[in-house]
Amino acid sequence: MLFVELIVKGLAYGCMYAMMAVGLTLVYGLLRILHIAHAGVFALGAYMVVTVANASGSLALGFAVAVVVSGLAGIAIYRLAYQPILHHAAFVPMVVSIGLFIVMQEGFRMIFGAYGIAFDNNPWYVANLGIAGINLTYVEIAMIVVAIVLVVGFGLFAGLTRAGIGWRATVTDPQMATSFGIDPVRVRYLNFLFGSALAGIAGGLVGLLNNYVEPTMGGAVSYKALAIIVLGGLGSVRGTLIASLTLGVVEAFGAVYLADVFDRDAIGFLFLIVVLMVRPQGLLGRK
Amino acid sequence: MQKKFIAAVAAAGLLFAGSASAQIKIGFHAPQSGPAAADGKSSTIGAEIARDWINEKGGVNGQKIELVVYDDQNKPDQSVPIANKLIGQDKVVAAISGSYSGPTRAAATVFQNAHIPYISAYGVHPDITKEGNWAFRGVQLGQPQGKGAAKFIADKYGKTSKVTMLTMNNDFGQSIADGFKEEAKALGLTVVKEYTFGLGERQFGPIVASAKADNADVIYAIGYYFVGGPLVAQVRAGGLKQPIVAAQAFDSMKLMEIAKDAAEGIYIVGGMDRGRTTPADFQPFLAEFKKRAGYDAEAVAANCYSSVMLMADAMKRAGSTDPAKVRDALAATKNFAMLTGPLGYFNSVGELYSPLEVTVVKDGKFVGVTVIDDQAILAPPK
Repeated sequence: MLFVELIVKGLAYGCMYAMMAVGLTLVYGLLRILHIAHAGVFALGAYMVVTVANASGSLALGFAVAVVVSGLAGIAIYRLAYQPILHHAAFVPMVVSIGLFIVMQEGFRMIFGAYGIAFDNNPWYVANLGIAGINLTYVEIAMIVVAIVLVVGFGLFAGLTRAGIGWRATVTDPQMATSFGIDPVRVRYLNFLFGSALAGIAGGLVGLLNNYVEPTMGGAVSYKALAIIVLGGLGSVRGTLIASLTLGVVEAFGAVYLADVFDRDAIGFLFLIVVLMVRPQGLLGRK
Repeated sequence: MQKKFIAAVAAAGLLFAGSASAQIKIGFHAPQSGPAAADGKSSTIGAEIARDWINEKGGVNGQKIELVVYDDQNKPDQSVPIANKLIGQDKVVAAISGSYSGPTRAAATVFQNAHIPYISAYGVHPDITKEGNWAFRGVQLGQPQGKGAAKFIADKYGKTSKVTMLTMNNDFGQSIADGFKEEAKALGLTVVKEYTFGLGERQFGPIVASAKADNADVIYAIGYYFVGGPLVAQVRAGGLKQPIVAAQAFDSMKLMEIAKDAAEGIYIVGGMDRGRTTPADFQPFLAEFKKRAGYDAEAVAANCYSSVMLMADAMKRAGSTDPAKVRDALAATKNFAMLTGPLGYFNSVGELYSPLEVTVVKDGKFVGVTVIDDQAILAPPK
């Protein structure tokens, strides 16, 4: 029973990783940038949800604001930080991204205070559903449902709509896509808008799950999401999804059976090292 | 040109004004930015209240106290140059750390070599005071805290109780856990299983699921409030109904904000009873802190306040600000009223003896339950 419960808990957290990492892998696929500041957008989303929900009493409004603000923040990051330096070597945008992430963390601290913020009213936080001895809080359930809906929705969009096909074409071969009349800059904006909104939602859900939003909440997620996209095979959305869920489950078991030896945060990297030794290109990456 | 001249005169005037009213300079470092900034902010406000109240009452030996405050970002590589700057440039006669163990331990060596008395207000790493005889600690070490918790559990729930331990795996958590396990063994308590987690952990679902199967009588949780809040909420959400006993660092009003109803009934060994009326400056301190900070005082703020007060008291008793005399006066401290409890004495390595207060969360407030004052258990290790 414990075995099943650990898998379910792991999958719930894996869903959060997925929402976070999909945006990162899309950015990497399109621009070859390791977008570390994505974790700053994640925390920004959480702050939007908690401040708006506490001020207005409406969680839905909080999430709506978070989606808009995170999405716009993603676009702003692309336009102001990355676009001017795209012609530089790959490490230059990465350094910029790390700097931006630190600035964002300190910015949250200055604007929202060094202490974290808890939700005034978070009814789903402790309330839980016990099915066959497995306790899942409503927030964990919401996390799974939201992740499935958004990721499936994105899959349909990318597979069936004109804009989605254009997007995929741009990722595969930007030059060819351009000569077929697809505007690559618009695809980039769309990419940052969607990926960042997703990260913002993930941040809001984690805020609800912990009932605590803090300036440094993006920290652990930032490097874990990087590990995930490397694990999944850089740029592969399907690989990223599989890697996210797998890492969630591996961590859940690790937290119980390996924590005396390794920190939970280290388990992910141990897993990454083992996988990369066997498959250097990642789970679904191409050589 | 004229403007420049006036500015120069004004600057010179300021300089003279600065040196004319002689001040006692006490160095203070705490994290003002970075992840630990929240505690650093509380510590600094606590220390500043002490400074202001001392000065309002005429200062120390006729001189005002000046706190020279630096941001150590909770980094040892920052605290060492800060300590050097405090000694060489600011010429402080004493120093206080309002920071965690890492930076405090590094700075302690510098102050030791320069022969400047130094108090670690709440950094609990054992090595801080081991650098020599110039460093003192204004808070109990982890080990006696853990031992006190074992005694509390044995007294309250019986000596045959089975305990599940949830331990944060940094030096703070480990030292408390070590003390707990040592005393638990001596008392006959059974530790069913110990789960460990990192400082950054907020998700305890897997641990809770496994702890449920252990079916212990009591849960003993060690961690900071921002880890502890999500932890106890998830323990309750996971269906565990056992009593929870927690370590000192759960003591924060944020615990209730984060854990909400799940915080009710948690016992904190080493907590701070907010309803206490002794010492006389305790309630005024809580009120003043809330006024300045906008939120309720944490134990770290009280620790820093008391450390500044203790340093000033030692200077008064020494009748001098000569570092060697202040150090000797500090070492000779007896029955000093700290906000967190009376400081009985310092042992030979600068560790204090102080009783442990046990509080319980009742209607969202920390209420005093009992005081553990047992020399055999709480005597500071040398």
